[in-house]
Amino acid sequence: MRLPSLKGRRLFSAMLFAGAALIAGAVIGACTSDEDEQQAQATEQQQQQVMQQQQDQPQAQVSGEPRGDTVQLVKDRGVLKCGVKQTQPLFGFREPDGSVVGFDVDFCQAIAEAMEVDLELVDASDASTRFELLADGEIDVLIRTTTITASRDRELGVDFAQTTFYTGQGFAVHAGSGIESTADMGDKTICVQSGTTTEQNLADHFTDLGLSYTPLGGSDQETQDAFLAGRCDVWTADQSNLASRIGVLDNASEFVILGELISKEPLAPGVRDFDSEFKDVVNWVVHGLIAAEEMGITKANVAAMASNPPNTAVARLLGVSFEGGEVSTLGFDSVGAQFIQRAIAAVGNYGEIYENNVGDAVPRACSLNALASEDKSNCPPGTGGIQYALPYR
Amino acid sequence: MSELPPIPRPEQRPLPPAGGPRKIVLPPHRQRAGRPFRVKAREWISRNLFPSLGGTILTLISAGFLGIMVVGILWFVFFDANWNVITANRWLLFAGSFPREEAWRLWTSIAVVMFLIGLAYGTWSSLGRRDTLFIVLTGAFVIFLMAHGGATIWSSIWFLVAIGLLYLGYYLTVWMPRETSPRRVWHQRIVGGLLALSLPLVLVILMVAGGANTRQFDGFVLNLILAPVGIVGGLVVAIPLALGRASNMRTIKWTCTAYIEVVRGAPLLGWLFVALFILDDVIGGDLIIRTMVVLAVFTGAYMAEYIRGGLQALPRGQYEAAQAVGLNQLQAMQLIVLPQALRISIPPIVGQAIAIWKDTTLVTIILTLRELKGNADSAIAQSEFIPDRIEAYVFVAVVFWVVAFMMSRISQRVERAQGIGER
Repeated sequence: MRLPSLKGRRLFSAMLFAGAALIAGAVIGACTSDEDEQQAQATEQQQQQVMQQQQDQPQAQVSGEPRGDTVQLVKDRGVLKCGVKQTQPLFGFREPDGSVVGFDVDFCQAIAEAMEVDLELVDASDASTRFELLADGEIDVLIRTTTITASRDRELGVDFAQTTFYTGQGFAVHAGSGIESTADMGDKTICVQSGTTTEQNLADHFTDLGLSYTPLGGSDQETQDAFLAGRCDVWTADQSNLASRIGVLDNASEFVILGELISKEPLAPGVRDFDSEFKDVVNWVVHGLIAAEEMGITKANVAAMASNPPNTAVARLLGVSFEGGEVSTLGFDSVGAQFIQRAIAAVGNYGEIYENNVGDAVPRACSLNALASEDKSNCPPGTGGIQYALPYR
Repeated sequence: MSELPPIPRPEQRPLPPAGGPRKIVLPPHRQRAGRPFRVKAREWISRNLFPSLGGTILTLISAGFLGIMVVGILWFVFFDANWNVITANRWLLFAGSFPREEAWRLWTSIAVVMFLIGLAYGTWSSLGRRDTLFIVLTGAFVIFLMAHGGATIWSSIWFLVAIGLLYLGYYLTVWMPRETSPRRVWHQRIVGGLLALSLPLVLVILMVAGGANTRQFDGFVLNLILAPVGIVGGLVVAIPLALGRASNMRTIKWTCTAYIEVVRGAPLLGWLFVALFILDDVIGGDLIIRTMVVLAVFTGAYMAEYIRGGLQALPRGQYEAAQAVGLNQLQAMQLIVLPQALRISIPPIVGQAIAIWKDTTLVTIILTLRELKGNADSAIAQSEFIPDRIEAYVFVAVVFWVVAFMMSRISQRVERAQGIGER
């Protein structure tokens, strides 16, 4: 055994060479024009599409890459992996006994019951990796207060189902600060969560207004902290999020949530692209739960309704025969005719899910999340629900 | 050339009196020196705190700051804070989604580990008054937490039994011979082997015969599993790497160097991304297994360099002497080189161990695993606890500190037992 004699010079020159090569590579890489990059991206996407289409057709193995046929994959695995948030009040958080609960989690539960598989809730709290998790097959469906946008739909390999929750970007300010709308926020410090649509909306809105502001970034909870501690004048986030986090404080009256909304934030379940079979299941489970509320089917009466359906529409939704007639699966052969019935039996209809999880923290009446058929006579003009199930027939 | 000085002979140690009560005789370097002289408190204060006008002013100002801080902390801890966020969520923070009806597996694992810690203390060290104080304080804290949170009396009894087992293990070993002898060597080997086996043993207790699956490792339990895997696995990876880098076979040397430099050159966060998205296709397996691999690989690269430092600190004479007495390479490594090199590298290795212990919180940030800090985030998302964020984070910080402090104390024990820094 000899100790390494310091052959310093040779090593040093080798390192110098390697370093120079690295720097040269970086410079060349940086100089390449954006056009080339876009072209490269485009061809990559095309390749991916071809690959995915190829994999669409034949087998779906449990161990294989989950592309194309998620329904079969999930059924073979016996487990639906649902990506949810675990740090969001009302929507996805954990009870003291360790279980994960919330508005989004109930939809995961509904989809798992509809497919007759077990549910595994995977933590997708991190905003920046959530789409990667979906693309990589770590999760099958992402229900994590995710806004539908065109660019996400086109560029991130994600496909969105029916919106489960409508909200918009709102603002909270300190009471007595004199700020009444975004027009008063010139040169103020604004707390905004990094890496979200919220951040982009804010920048766009202030460009339109011709005002400047100082953004203060961070995670959801960090921005909350910063605002409550007075490190920023304004806190912007989804209005439902602001309401749920401020409403429970002892000193809630020291803060004001402005009525102004600067964006649409429809929150919807996301699935992988190029998988219309699975997307249809997710989509129609959501529509089915809304339809159930419209028809007055609840968790409590779903069994009675199924054994004795009052009309053909209810019978079709629950996948049962109406007065001895034929039962149609409407093409949902892979999950069976009664998949919506199972979902309702597990978590209740849309209204029940809202009531159980969100409740009064974000009042539903006259908000976008109320049924389109609600009585709008008591609502302020211009408000009222738009939740509306597509015809199930 | 002058004559060499005579080789000093080690002093004869007094033998324990035969027949009398067995008394533990500590080697000289571990015996405490008596205090040379005593200073009266009043004299000390006036000499050190109020030596002059300037000194007095400084003392008063610092005392003021200290007082404000202490009062502030006490006020927060006893009046301002709402510790319900911790007591109500103690299971979420501790084990999260670990199946509750299998909780006995956790308690059994804790008991086994406590027993082994007791054995180890009895074999290589001794429990002093401060250790007892530490154990009593921690025990009281845990039991208070459980009682306050409304846990059944049985959890407290379980914990007391575990502490009892620690002392049982300790007293089991106390009657073993303290002097170097073949019996003692065997005794040490058995305890060392048990310690090395403790981690697999705990995993077996947690998982076999209808236990938890790896997806259910959650909360503080996950920290307690990941960190030892990273540390022990890191050491296992590090020793061959260090030897390889110090070798004069070029291929081996360059391979090891490349490994160390590549792994060390990127942040742990980056390697965890590799575990999540790339290792998936390479080695497959559960996410938690991939994370363990990455932690071991990452820690190994750092520890290899510390051990190489130890190898280089070893005088050349040691290698030559080993060759001179006719030991082959392997024997020289095993008997002469590694024991000394590892002993030298204990302080930085423990530093790295503490670092990786705290870095286990990173798995929450990018992986889908939930550990103590992540579960604290979840707890403060419950509507009634949204305002109690500081309490949750203070608690997490204290827990991490306590474990890191324990690690640091144990390393000091090991160093003292090995006589490091005294030669």
